[in-house]
Amino acid sequence: MALTITCPICGKRNGYEFRYGGEEKGPRPDEKDLTPESWCDYVHMNKCVAGVQQEWWFHRDGCGSWFTIFRDTTTNLEKETPEAKE
Amino acid sequence: MMNRFNHLPTLKIDTSEKIPFTYKGKQYYGTKGDTVATALYANGVRIYARSLKYHRPRGLYSMDGECSNTMMEINGVPNVRTETTLLKPGMVIKEQNVKGSAENDLMGFIDKMDWAMPAGFYYDTMHKPARIWPVAMKQIRKAAGIGKLSPDHHMPGRYDEIFPTCDVCVIGGGPAGMTAALAAAEKGLRVILMEVRPWLGGQFDYRTAEYANRQTCHDRAVQLAKEVEKTDNIRVFTHTANVGAYNNNLITGFQVGTEKDSFTERYIEIRANSVVVATGCIERPLLFENNERPGVMQAGCALRLANTYGMLPGKTGVFSIGHDLGLEAAVALHDLGMTIPMIADIREDGQDPALLKAVTDRKITLLKGWVATEAHGRKQVKKVTLKSLDGTAEKTFDCDVLVASAGFTPLTGPLVVNQAKLKYDAHTNFFLPTDLPKKMHAAGRLLGYENAESIEASGQLAGLKAAYDCENCSIADLGEAKKIMESVPGPARGTKLVMAPVKGRKTFICFDEDTSIKNVKQSIDKGFDVPELIKRFSGAGLGPGQAGIPGHNLPLFTAKYQALPDIKIRPTTVRPPLVPTLIATYAGTNHTMLKRTPIDDLQRKDGGIFRNIGVWQRARYFSKDFTSRKEIENVRDRIANLLGPLGQPTHIEKVGRVVCVGGGIGVAPLHPIAKGMKQAGNEVVTIIGARSRELVILEDEMTAIADRCICCTDDGSYGRKALVTEPLKELCIIPGMTTGIFSGKPHGCHGGDQPVPGPNARKVTEKVVNIDVSNEAFGFSECKEFKVADTIPVKAMRLGCG
Repeated sequence: MALTITCPICGKRNGYEFRYGGEEKGPRPDEKDLTPESWCDYVHMNKCVAGVQQEWWFHRDGCGSWFTIFRDTTTNLEKETPEAKE
Repeated sequence: MMNRFNHLPTLKIDTSEKIPFTYKGKQYYGTKGDTVATALYANGVRIYARSLKYHRPRGLYSMDGECSNTMMEINGVPNVRTETTLLKPGMVIKEQNVKGSAENDLMGFIDKMDWAMPAGFYYDTMHKPARIWPVAMKQIRKAAGIGKLSPDHHMPGRYDEIFPTCDVCVIGGGPAGMTAALAAAEKGLRVILMEVRPWLGGQFDYRTAEYANRQTCHDRAVQLAKEVEKTDNIRVFTHTANVGAYNNNLITGFQVGTEKDSFTERYIEIRANSVVVATGCIERPLLFENNERPGVMQAGCALRLANTYGMLPGKTGVFSIGHDLGLEAAVALHDLGMTIPMIADIREDGQDPALLKAVTDRKITLLKGWVATEAHGRKQVKKVTLKSLDGTAEKTFDCDVLVASAGFTPLTGPLVVNQAKLKYDAHTNFFLPTDLPKKMHAAGRLLGYENAESIEASGQLAGLKAAYDCENCSIADLGEAKKIMESVPGPARGTKLVMAPVKGRKTFICFDEDTSIKNVKQSIDKGFDVPELIKRFSGAGLGPGQAGIPGHNLPLFTAKYQALPDIKIRPTTVRPPLVPTLIATYAGTNHTMLKRTPIDDLQRKDGGIFRNIGVWQRARYFSKDFTSRKEIENVRDRIANLLGPLGQPTHIEKVGRVVCVGGGIGVAPLHPIAKGMKQAGNEVVTIIGARSRELVILEDEMTAIADRCICCTDDGSYGRKALVTEPLKELCIIPGMTTGIFSGKPHGCHGGDQPVPGPNARKVTEKVVNIDVSNEAFGFSECKEFKVADTIPVKAMRLGCG
């Protein structure tokens, strides 16, 4: 795997050490007006962007932290900014 | 056995040491430093194998393992590239794909049946009627194919994998690669240098031509290699083939181990900040009738046989070449004693004047604008027909070796698999990389440079570019290297695809799949007009050689046959692995990824039967009776297992602030530690965890003794929903606050926990320990530290009430 991920604690590490945690979808919806449908949408509906997206990663074989990075899904490379720049 | 030279400076063999091996049941001797192929050649073996489809005899051709010609079965492992495999004592070698022997193959008659098997023969005929398919397929499989491996074959050897990182990775240890590595290392960067041969030097290593100031190319190679070895921040991997390059500069390869190494082969995955590709060139095969007859070989192969392995390829050698290396080889081999009746050079002009003079001085006839059109001889080359390019004049010579080479082919594999685009360049006749991937640079002969000075200048420039990527090189330095690059000679003119007029029935463009020029023409006539399609339909380049032989000729020939302009010439796609690798190498070591207890050895000695339990390997049974009835009865009535040593006792002293972390029943042994720490005057924070609310123990006790007690549960049913490491991490991130961390785990880090169950537990314990273990002194759930037999420190916890 050519992917490297920059962990906020351990720095740039091999992609093998991390576990994917899904797309970043903003904060959890408020429980007050939560319907099963809106919860289902929050959990299961993904944007599947072809380009740069923000996503969660878990440093499984390292410090164990959860964090978000920007990744270009077309090149499978980490990006520093949300804009797709080549 | 052939007499070997032992005085040449370029030799890599040690003629004083003989190595025995078995070929076809007979004992032969090779020399230390030989590859399997050269050892066989020295013993007079000329036919190494039979080809896949037509069972044509095949011999030594390129020395770099680009074709299946010299693949043999060694020690039961089929398809071993004998050209690149070093000879080891006691090797058992067999030929492949033969009925009978390689010299007398009963299937040899298929060669004459080629008219019945045009390109796409299988696709056209083998689909109906469907019921004969299973029968026909079996027969074809029997007749064709290279090597057999039994399904339960166990691969001997030790395989390993390493994952190094570096600033600059240089692929190729030739003059350009070594210069690049040295340039980058001088800027203080960590460099990895990969070289496919067992030694550094590349093409310089076997050449005795003058480099500069009476220094030979070989001397220069030795000098550079010494400098590289002297440089501490260059890590050299020799005998390491590059198999892939991926984005983010991930470079993979595999290394063949020497006798001193702990591995037979190992997989290497390098993460580099910047990459320099200096893989150099292989030779482009010359196309003529019977161009793969044993005895036909490339110029580099002939030269290396003599200079590196100390033997002449034959007595009489005719040369049909298209580059200066061919002339150089002819001169060198003539000086070593080979008779050279004729050199046919494809080029009308443009030869190196010094080499021309050397050829004339030695009274060798050189025909410019001539080319070999046919090799004669049923099993080996006996005679060669040469023709002028227009086909009007013809000459025939007797010989036992025909050195044939059309030009060079750049090894752009690592660049191409990393998405670089190739573009046909009319001057060099190469497919040159145009859009290089980010932080990837090319250098050396693969860009078309042939002059030694230019090769090294391009290496220097690429090394500095790589250093610039790592922000360790100034623009001024880069500019200077660029200036030098501009002052040296540019890429040399390459030879075009030249073929004398032949029908091409036995002119092979691909040796692995027996694809002839005629097959390619048939494919084009059927409408497969692009090299990529022709490759699929005719099989050219689909063999184990990974298109090493046809990769360059196929697109050139296709363009020529279709009369395409230069811009339309497109190479076929190269995919990883660039060099075939053993699956065993990819699999790596079969690690036992389990922890062992400190008393593991003792339990094994006692005949324990082990089971994998979580991350641990523990003794599960001590008898063959897996119901363990006796053991259970013993526990109930008397006593079971005995003690084992635990980890180190906690050292209690005043350190400042202490965090005590524990989970599950591990909280219990933590309690006295936390207490002790508090008493010693520390500020104590305890973090206790459990799976759920019900399983949280000793929370009140912990709160009572500690300054702060954080409680976590896995399911969030009580306290905080987190692993104990979460609050610990938060505490650690506050700088300068934490000075010591102690943990209590149910299966402690040192993992020698042993239960002492049974009604007689106390009686047994009493005898071996130095403390009071009575009901009153050692209460329920209490944890104590003491010594067993006054020597082994243990932590013990009472779990039962009895």
